[in-house]
Amino acid sequence: MIETFRQIASEIQNPYIEAWKAAGKPVIGFPCTFLPEEVIAAAGILPMRFRAVGISSLSIGDTYYGPVVCSFPKCILQLAGEGVYNFLDGVIITPGCDSMRRLDECWRKAGEDIAGITPGFFHYFGVPHKSTDYSLRWFVEELGILIESLEKHFGRAITDEAMRQNIRKYNTSRRLLQRLDQVRAAGTPISGEDALAIVLAGSAMPRDEYNRLLEALVAELEQLPSIQDGRKRLLLVGSLNDDLDFVRVIEECGAVVVGDAMCFGARSYHTLVAEDGDPVEALARHYLSRNLCPRMFGYYKDRLEFILKRVKDTRADGVVLQNIRFCDMHGSENGIFARDLAKAGIPNVRMEREYGPLVESGRIKMRVDAFIERLA
Amino acid sequence: MKKESMEYQYDWNIWTIIHNASLAADGTRKEYEALLEYVPHFRDVLDIIIREGEPGIRLLKLLEEYLHSLTTAHAEGKKVAMTTFCMATPVLYAFDVVPLSLEPLSVLGTLVLKRGTAEFLDYCCELGFTETSCSAQRGALGAYLAGMGASPDFIVCDTPGVCDTNANSFAFASAWLDLPFYQLNHPQAVAGERSQRYHRQDFHNMIAFLEEHTGRKIDLERLRSVIREVKRQDEISCELSDLIQLRPSPVPSIYDLFLYGGKFMMGGTPQYTALLEAMLEKAKDNARKNISGTRSGKEKARALCCYVDHYTTDARLWEFFDEFEISHLGSLLFTFWQNGMPYARGREQEGYGVSDMDLDAMIDSLADQNSRMPMIKQIRGPYDAPHMWLDDTIGISQIVKPDFIIYIGTMGCRNTWSNIKLLQRDTERHGIPTLVLYCDAFDDRVASWEAVRERFSEFIHVRRIAS
Repeated sequence: MIETFRQIASEIQNPYIEAWKAAGKPVIGFPCTFLPEEVIAAAGILPMRFRAVGISSLSIGDTYYGPVVCSFPKCILQLAGEGVYNFLDGVIITPGCDSMRRLDECWRKAGEDIAGITPGFFHYFGVPHKSTDYSLRWFVEELGILIESLEKHFGRAITDEAMRQNIRKYNTSRRLLQRLDQVRAAGTPISGEDALAIVLAGSAMPRDEYNRLLEALVAELEQLPSIQDGRKRLLLVGSLNDDLDFVRVIEECGAVVVGDAMCFGARSYHTLVAEDGDPVEALARHYLSRNLCPRMFGYYKDRLEFILKRVKDTRADGVVLQNIRFCDMHGSENGIFARDLAKAGIPNVRMEREYGPLVESGRIKMRVDAFIERLA
Repeated sequence: MKKESMEYQYDWNIWTIIHNASLAADGTRKEYEALLEYVPHFRDVLDIIIREGEPGIRLLKLLEEYLHSLTTAHAEGKKVAMTTFCMATPVLYAFDVVPLSLEPLSVLGTLVLKRGTAEFLDYCCELGFTETSCSAQRGALGAYLAGMGASPDFIVCDTPGVCDTNANSFAFASAWLDLPFYQLNHPQAVAGERSQRYHRQDFHNMIAFLEEHTGRKIDLERLRSVIREVKRQDEISCELSDLIQLRPSPVPSIYDLFLYGGKFMMGGTPQYTALLEAMLEKAKDNARKNISGTRSGKEKARALCCYVDHYTTDARLWEFFDEFEISHLGSLLFTFWQNGMPYARGREQEGYGVSDMDLDAMIDSLADQNSRMPMIKQIRGPYDAPHMWLDDTIGISQIVKPDFIIYIGTMGCRNTWSNIKLLQRDTERHGIPTLVLYCDAFDDRVASWEAVRERFSEFIHVRRIAS
């Protein structure tokens, strides 16, 4: 079963998306976990978080973006420009960070030069950077605008009941992933690489099928013995990472990644959306109160507390604080985590990397090797 | 950090240099020349400023007073707020809080210190702040993280939603120094009822934060006097902007720096009003004589900076403009969107007006002013959305009619580096030659001024500008 997840995690298109499209149903891509997927799913549209696996050039990304920008949105633009994302029916851009929100303009402008790469539905979803009563109201209004736009463009009604139903479905995923984390913490029957594949698969397949597969897998894992075999237990923290090879290189150094505090990971499922009350309000409250991404400025202590709890829960021996180059928010915060984790007696290492093909595996391996030696 | 770099407090060190420099105007020519020996690393830039006569002297006095108030704030019983250039200072002055504005302090360090701010830029990285972060904050931030300056009591910034790299510097400082933090967060659109409501609620919330951390209620009369000062300053700024439209532009190139530099440090104070009045008088005098504001009085070409200027040692950007007899028509930092500004005419919903009617009206005015500050207005949304960067660049170009546009930024500016190529393509399509300079406005280790100048000269030559 893990092979199914690995396959989905290793490519942009997958049999589930193909089947979905073959049934005449739309797919919408988005870049960041601050977008409530439940709303899109409630329209009968498959939400798919952008990834850029299989990237081999940045010729298009570098044409529109400037030189000192995070490689993740550049890679997405590259794939979009190459037509890899032409199967999408819509794109929603969120201001996850400056580089990410500029994907809006870069993609649209690239679309003026390269025919067919900009889908008919192209929407900007504004997410405040703080949790207050008035920012919540803004978020609720943004959701209202999004719902209206989706309904108008796709000719589908988004009912409260459909949203509630999808909240329940996504909560099921969240509960299962929390269970998976508990299994990893307790018995460690699975590598960090495979665990990441499981999370990634969820970003690119219909929720019902994902929950079905995930439930079966978690039940299976609960019966399996540990694979730790004397290896050091590491927690992975920082920027977005959807690179299985990155985790594999770390684990090949004699470690097992037992948990994370990342957006393709625990940060996206550690809390549940309220299932009662007004669904739009519940979604807004949930998504806007997630202060675990440094885009929410001024909530450092919440994030430190979360990491400390994750270290404790996963019984991690050390923490890898990684960030994509030019991701100043995670990069800088990693600097403070390094100080504060050290104060708490938790060994840690900082690591900057590029998004995309793992061209720097030698450097990463050397740094992780040295770190694990420290833990010995 | 080098031991000798830690010998003097960063802001005090700059203050002593500026203080000595500001005395220049009080003596004879002979005394002035003798004094230059005491500011060896600042003498060139000092000469550029003093050459401007009364406005230059006013600027030096303003800088001296600002730095003095910062270095003596705690002794005077005042609170210090670490903040950013695009946070309008009047609200802080209304609370009698001294703004510790990182970017102006980086500029000052870059201009006047022997080694610029390299040591402090790098010290941030020693602590864990990324080297790819914006040098505009890092230059001074390093010193404050090292405890080498006025110690801030709290942090207020207004760049979340506008410039994450900027906001991140303040979030880092807050976490590292464990200081109370307030962020004004801006939605992606500047105009419209929704945005206005958000701006104002957020601003009122900030007033509550300031009341909590200063231990005092906002003083109505003090606020009213600040607001009236702002009103007068806005009127003068509008007149100056009107004059820039003349050909030749009678406004000296360095007034660009004077106008925004003064505002970022002392907007809302009588000192800034005095500076603006002196600038206006000189510009009007030039206009009467029908001469350009360049040193020679001639104007061969007109330049518009679509983002920031270049600040590394000795103010050489402005020297360059003067040498080539190019009028500097301003930068993005020159735009504040007061109603009455030539570029705000016909675009009233993007502008702001000041009211001193009652407390709420005054606070709302300041919120409106703040949400139109340079960068806050233009960079918050997609560059080609209404009221944003492209609209403003083209709109202002149509008014001041530059012969070319220059982009200068910092290597940390994810925002503008993400779409400057798009903007450049659009401005070129509008028939305005546009140069993107791959350099860092605050750190000439990225590209030396000589290299920048070479590219600049080459561009001017190849595009047959100022020939």
